[in-house]
Order: sequence, then C-alpha cells, then structure tokens
Amino acid sequence: MGTAAPALVASALVVLAATAGPARAENRCTGVTADGGRFATCFDVGNRLSLTAGTDGFGGGIALRHLIRFDDDPDLSWKMEHALIDATHAGFADRFTAVLYRGRYVRHARDGHLVLPLFGNARKVFLPFDIGALVDVAAVRWQPDQAATIGVIKTAALIDLARSRDFRYLLAVGPVARWDVSLARHPIAVAEHAVAPFTAGLFAWRLESASGLTWAELRVEAGAAWHSRDGWRPDASAEATIERIVLAINDRPISLVTGARYDSLTGESVARIGVRIAIIQHRDQRVTLTALGH
Amino acid sequence: MSGLCAALAAVAIGLPASGFADDLPAMDHDQPVLCVRDTQGLIWRIQCNARAKTCLFAANDELDSTGERVKPLERARTCELDAPFDRHDLEANGFKFVPARVDVPWGWMRDERERVFQVSFDLKRRMYFGAAYTPVKVIDNPLASKRTSIDFGLLVLEHLTKGKTPTRHRIRMIEGQVHLQPFSAELVVAHYDVSRRFFDPLLRFTTFVGPPSRHDLYLNLGLWSEAGGLELHKTELGNTQLWRHATAQATLDLWQSANLDSFLRARAGMGFEGQHDEVNGYRSALTATWALDLDMVLDRDGFHNLRFEIDHEVPRYFVPVGIQSQWSQRMRAHVQYEAIVLAINDQPLSLKIAAGGEKRDDLPGVPDQWAFVIDAGLRFSLWAPPRPRS
Repeated sequence: MGTAAPALVASALVVLAATAGPARAENRCTGVTADGGRFATCFDVGNRLSLTAGTDGFGGGIALRHLIRFDDDPDLSWKMEHALIDATHAGFADRFTAVLYRGRYVRHARDGHLVLPLFGNARKVFLPFDIGALVDVAAVRWQPDQAATIGVIKTAALIDLARSRDFRYLLAVGPVARWDVSLARHPIAVAEHAVAPFTAGLFAWRLESASGLTWAELRVEAGAAWHSRDGWRPDASAEATIERIVLAINDRPISLVTGARYDSLTGESVARIGVRIAIIQHRDQRVTLTALGH
Repeated sequence: MSGLCAALAAVAIGLPASGFADDLPAMDHDQPVLCVRDTQGLIWRIQCNARAKTCLFAANDELDSTGERVKPLERARTCELDAPFDRHDLEANGFKFVPARVDVPWGWMRDERERVFQVSFDLKRRMYFGAAYTPVKVIDNPLASKRTSIDFGLLVLEHLTKGKTPTRHRIRMIEGQVHLQPFSAELVVAHYDVSRRFFDPLLRFTTFVGPPSRHDLYLNLGLWSEAGGLELHKTELGNTQLWRHATAQATLDLWQSANLDSFLRARAGMGFEGQHDEVNGYRSALTATWALDLDMVLDRDGFHNLRFEIDHEVPRYFVPVGIQSQWSQRMRAHVQYEAIVLAINDQPLSLKIAAGGEKRDDLPGVPDQWAFVIDAGLRFSLWAPPRPRS
C-alpha cells in the first residue's frame, strides 16, 4: 500500500495536468476556469470523514471542529476540535491503532487573566495565554507479538501561547494525566496498569496554512508514570504529522500524509507515508461555488 | 492617574470629578444605559434612577493602569447611543451624578479598570480533572502507605426545567478516579438521574387539636441510573474487575433546595454486574442497592460544595463461589468538600478534601473489615458558567 500511494497521486496529477485549462481566482478561496466553472482552493480539514491508505495500514476517522461564541462577549470563544473513531489497521502486520474519541478544547479570550477570589476583594492578574484541555478516550494499540494497550483515558490541561483566534496556530504545553491498561493477549488478561497522575508534560504545536492545503502537527509527551508491575518509570512519546492536499476531485480533497511516531514503552520508531481521501468534507465557508445572481 | 483621567473627563462632560475607588456603586445590568458623547468625543455610560435621583456614570471602555481608555468593554449591556440627554435639566430636577462601575451580567464583576471576570461558578456544569494525595488506611497504620490519585469527569451537566413541577436532570459522562500504590480504579461511562418537585402533595393531613391546620406530605420521587461502570483492584491475589453493566434505582428526595441543585435523597434499586478475579474466575450477579445522598451547594456563588454518600450493595451471584455463599456485601461511605480557590481565565481551580470508608467481602485478598481513606487535591474545571440567578 505504501508504494501504491505515491503512484496513485502521480497518475492523478498527470490526468489533472492533461485536462486542466487556464484558471483565474474569483476570490482567495474560489477558482474559476476559462469557461466559468468554479472550484474550491481552500479546504476545511477539521470537518471531514476521511479514509487513509499508507505504509502503516488502512484506516479512517471523523474530524469535527467548531467555534462556540457568545453574544455578550465577542472576544471570547471556545475552539472545539473532535476526532471520532480514528483507526488504522495494518492487516499484513497484525497491527491496529484506534482512538474512540479525542478532543481538544481551547478557550480563547482577548485578555487572559487569573482571578484570586478567596483572598479579600477579587483580584485580576493578566496572563498572556489561553487555556484549554485535551482528552483521549479509549485509545487502543495492538502490536504484533506484544501486549495490547488500552489508553482508558488521557487528559491534559493546556496553556496555549499562540492565542490564535482560529484553529490555524497552536503552541501549547501542559501537565498530562493518563491511565493505560496493558493486556496479555493469550489468554486475554490484564497484565499491567500504568498511571501518570499529572507527572508527565505535553508539548503540542500545530500550524495550518490559510487555505487549509497544508498543515503540520507535533505532539511530544515526556515524564514519569507508575506501572503496577515495576513502579515508576520514565515514559516518552512523540508524533509528528504533515498533510498536503495535492488534488481535489469534485472539490473533495486528496492529500499526501507523512509522519513519524516514537514510543519509549514499546521502543518503536515508525515513519509512515500515505494518501488520504476526504469522503465527506464540510466546504470551507470562504468558497463560493455559485455565481452571484445564479 | 486614573483619578486624573476621571477628573478630566468629568470636566469635559460637566460631571462631578471623583477618583476611581474600589467601593464605587455598580450599574444595574437589567436597567437601560445611555451612551453619551462628551465634548471631546469620548463616550460615557450613564444610568439614571428616577426614584433615587441619581445618575451613575462610567467610561465606555476598559482602562489601562494609567487610566487611559484602551479597549472596548466586555459583557456590558448594549447602550442607547446619542439618545437625548440634558444634564442641566436633570441637575435642575435634583439628580446627582455619581461615578460608578459599568454594569456586568449576573455572576461577573469588574475591577477598577472595568475589566470583567467571573465570580460565580456552577460546578454542576463542567468538565474537570484533578490530582490528589491519598494516605491510605490511616487508622490501621498512618505511616504504612501513601498514594496519589487522579480523578476526571468529561461531562458534568445539569439542567433544570422550571414550571409547575420543576425537574432537574443530571448527566455525567466518563467520570472516575484512579489510585496507584496499590492500584485501583473506578469508572462510570454514563450516569443519569432526575429529581422532581411535585405540585400536588401525596397526602395532606388536617389537625384539629387547637386551630385546624393543614400539613402536606410530598413524595418527590425520581430516577437514578448508571451504565458501563468498571471497578478495578489489584491485590496480592491478582487483578479483580467488577463490571457494573447497568443499575437503576428509584429515588425519594427527603429535602430539596429551591432550584433542586441541593438535596438529601434516599434511593434503592437493582443492578446487573459481572466480576472476574484470578481466584474465582468470572461470576455474574443481580445486586440490590440502596443509598443515602446529600449534595449541597453551600453558598450563592458556588464556591463551597459538599457531598456525602453512604451506600450498601448486596450482590447475589447466580452460582455459589467456592465455599462462599451466593451473597456478598459491599458498604461504603464517602464525604467530599470542594472549594474554589482561584480561577484562571475564568476557569476555576478548586481544592478537594475527601474522606471515605469501605467494607466488602467480594474481593479475594482484601480483608472483610473497614478501611478508611482520606485525600486532598486540586481539580481544574473547564466551562463552569455562572450559577443561575434563581
């Protein structure tokens, strides 16, 4: 699958080059062909149902993101990102990873502040960051010849230094609490519990282009976790992903995805590359596919 | 500098000069506010009270530390701009102009720079996670062991429907706690309960000793349910998993606060569970349960919260386990006090202090005697909007 993916993209690009006509831009996110046909040049990569085929297997997931705003405080918003049933299965390698729900919620305010309400009159101290939280529920990792791991829950408080109004920038750090269960597979039984009671730290970085054509994300976690078999141990993990939309069919984007992952628990370092197809994608609000008056 | 700013502005608009003091009166968020432009073009918010013959005034902007206007106001009510306003006429009619704080919605306040911040928190609508330090078995041996724990609740949501029979719905999703050294964990995937206050009494007694008088007896019944409960323990005899598939109980509220967010409640019902341990294997049971709950918000702004719970569970296994009978016993009591100590970007950080005791005979390797635990820790909550006004 890993070798097939670049070949697929190359073929598609050849077909596209052979049929494409001259185009102009209607606005920043809408292109217009010479005969008036319109097409999207911006994409909302945070709202979609996508399938991915790559060197690490075949999978898919649902991504949703939205803003919650308030009429009486236009400078406050909640940036909500959700991933549902994000799974990848490599049948040839007996490897399966999935997360039932992953959420990231960031409260963006024009002026961050700390309030000390208990000590005399309430006091407000300026803080130059947004705050939020990250949640992973039921993350499953099934690897060949190893115990399966279920991340029952992982949660982190986030301090977002980027303070972006939208979803394009994130630069966050925070303490992490998590509870993982390792399962022996033959027979299936609990082998070990691992708990990090906010004894690990998280660094998250995300950058997304204004058009949504390219985005990159890095997530690093490091710290100590208590293991029911042998006590406290240092743990670290990291994951980086870059996605670039290279083609769209009927305004449904197809992208190249590459990334790498490291986990000290399994000692694995895995690099991957693949192709992602958005089966259903929310159209970027800046795209206008119908001409005014039509 | 802020005093100077006020004085200058007051001269410009012809209002009395006064320094920004901490004890300034605040405008009423529910009453109309005028926005009036002064001779320099600056906009002032003015709210007049015909009965008190006063007009409160304040700048229509946030101020910096020097008193300069720097930002638009947050959470101030929309004001009527450039409405007819005659200061001399008002003063001739006996109105007095008083410097004031800009209005804020219920649950919020402003500092001397008119910056807004939340001072009321509804911990019954939030997502939370926290960590605590838990000495265990302090009565048996205070120095024997110590452990840390985390707790979390991905969604805590309560909704009150008002009306003839006010009803409060309570929802919890993925709530639990994990202890280490030794390991134990509790998790509930979904919880729902509902309380009602009935309009008509179930029974009314009329007494005729002395003047006739009527005494109403209300039976405020409700429902309590949980699904997807999981309890894990690790003992010397191995791992134990208790799956509480589903539990349903009828509730009787013995006392309710006006908005039903505080209550004293008795409940009883049945559950279906399965338990697996490395001594007895897997066994299923129908479990009779009853409990007494006290849940109280101790102050108007939600800073102090108290919970007490005592429950008793009697699982009846479908088949006898070893030489034991088909019955087991689980008793538990738990009290928890949670107080908000500060808020970061209006998201509260609270101190939790809890104590509990447990006695059970269904866990291999755990003696059938009372064990007591106390813990203290911090919780960080997201969302937690201001408590409803009434």
